[in-house]
Amino acid sequence: MTLPTDPSVKPILQLDHVSRRRAGRPAVRELTLNLQRGQVLGLLGVNGAGKSTTLSMIAGAMRPDSGSIQLDGSDFLEQPELSRRLVGWLPERAPMWPELTVSEHLDAHGHLRHLRGAALKQARETIIERLELQPLARRLAGVLSQGQRQRLGLACALLHRPALLVLDEPANALDPIQVAALRVLIREQAAAGTAVILSTHLLAEVTAVCDRVAILHDGSLRHEGPVHADDHAALERSFFEIAMNHPTANAA
Amino acid sequence: MSLFAVTRLEWRRLLVRPLAWVLAALTQAWLAWTFTLLLGGFLASQIQRAALPDGPGLTDLVAVPLLGQLAQLAFLVVPLLSMSLIAGERRNGTLPLMLAAGVPASRIVLGKYLALLGWLLLWLLLTLAMPLALSHATHLDWGKLAAASLGVALMLAALTALGVACSSFASHPAIAAAAALILALALWSVNLGAQMAGINGGAINWLAMSTHVQPLLRGLFSTADVVWFVLLIVLALALATRRLNADRERG
Repeated sequence: MTLPTDPSVKPILQLDHVSRRRAGRPAVRELTLNLQRGQVLGLLGVNGAGKSTTLSMIAGAMRPDSGSIQLDGSDFLEQPELSRRLVGWLPERAPMWPELTVSEHLDAHGHLRHLRGAALKQARETIIERLELQPLARRLAGVLSQGQRQRLGLACALLHRPALLVLDEPANALDPIQVAALRVLIREQAAAGTAVILSTHLLAEVTAVCDRVAILHDGSLRHEGPVHADDHAALERSFFEIAMNHPTANAA
Repeated sequence: MSLFAVTRLEWRRLLVRPLAWVLAALTQAWLAWTFTLLLGGFLASQIQRAALPDGPGLTDLVAVPLLGQLAQLAFLVVPLLSMSLIAGERRNGTLPLMLAAGVPASRIVLGKYLALLGWLLLWLLLTLAMPLALSHATHLDWGKLAAASLGVALMLAALTALGVACSSFASHPAIAAAAALILALALWSVNLGAQMAGINGGAINWLAMSTHVQPLLRGLFSTADVVWFVLLIVLALALATRRLNADRERG
């Protein structure tokens, strides 16, 4: 089963029967997904459903045991360096180097992604302004609140203008105003042609920003389809039906 | 490019962490005190040594013992500075960020290695500046000093590689430091039993780091000694790279 997409448009991301075991258990099983530029895909699932493992594989931090991942038509597993240019990743809990300032973080991420000189400076200033990080620019990452860390993590993910944005629980620790700003940002990125995949447990997050939803349960894709903003109840029914009727092996 | 980015990032982190500065300050103070004592001893015995035609000079009595002190301190300093290089990244959760930026594991390892080695070579240069400051007033044996400096530099490079390898395998920086210290001491004195039994050759003596450092400290340069250090460094860095690749495979 794959998400219905426009067949005339080349997907930016194609997962084909991707599987991965973690700690001796299958974390992701035979996952097949497609995502096109400009689409926002919500990855829903209870804890331990395999969302973060899936996103880590898409970001290039982890390799699948089997299956293939294509990024912009190229085999990602054969060319892991593709992630440097094409993927921006915000992992869960936004890990940081605590001894670096916000500005230094952005520089470090820029250097790792081969940005330098005027291009790096411009990218850094643009993203600092867009995410309203100016008051924090000289502050050490180690003293930021969790919400501020999320914003910095998001800035690092967006710095190099990736074609695919991978967000793992991006609304964690954000206040309602910041959540609203995040939604605007995601829609803005999608409108600019960036494909966005975000994992969340929050159904409201999916109905607010996603075009499509995929529900993972126990590592398998159990539901996929378009999201209609006015059909929150239907999504909720599907989610609870899957979650309640199929107890997870990982939760046991 | 990504190698330079990793080295630059690690340098920046070293420069802002108090540990590196505190260790540098304390060890330099200790070495300066040692230098003063050695110089005092050298000056006190100058008259007796003047009677000897080929008696030991400033290089033998001050510069080389000072480098020997630095080599001893390195057994503690290098594990403390290298412990967080990879184990710390793993604990912070920042290691996957580097892997996800498309940086190959080999460049992460090499970049971090070069950053710390750069810091340690500056530490060595600062120590060397003490005897070098006297070069205008007395005669230094430049060949012997160069060989001894090379010996200590190679030792620092080898200890750093060991530290990086231990850091890549450990889940906690403190475990990495302890492992690096024990491994370094074991490697230094692995031939102690053989030496006590009067055996001066063989594989066990070849294996010991002391066998390859001490001739250099005496001013005896041998390509075989340099090759031993290069082999150790390559092996340790290859193991660290392999471990990081396994991280990506295993998650």
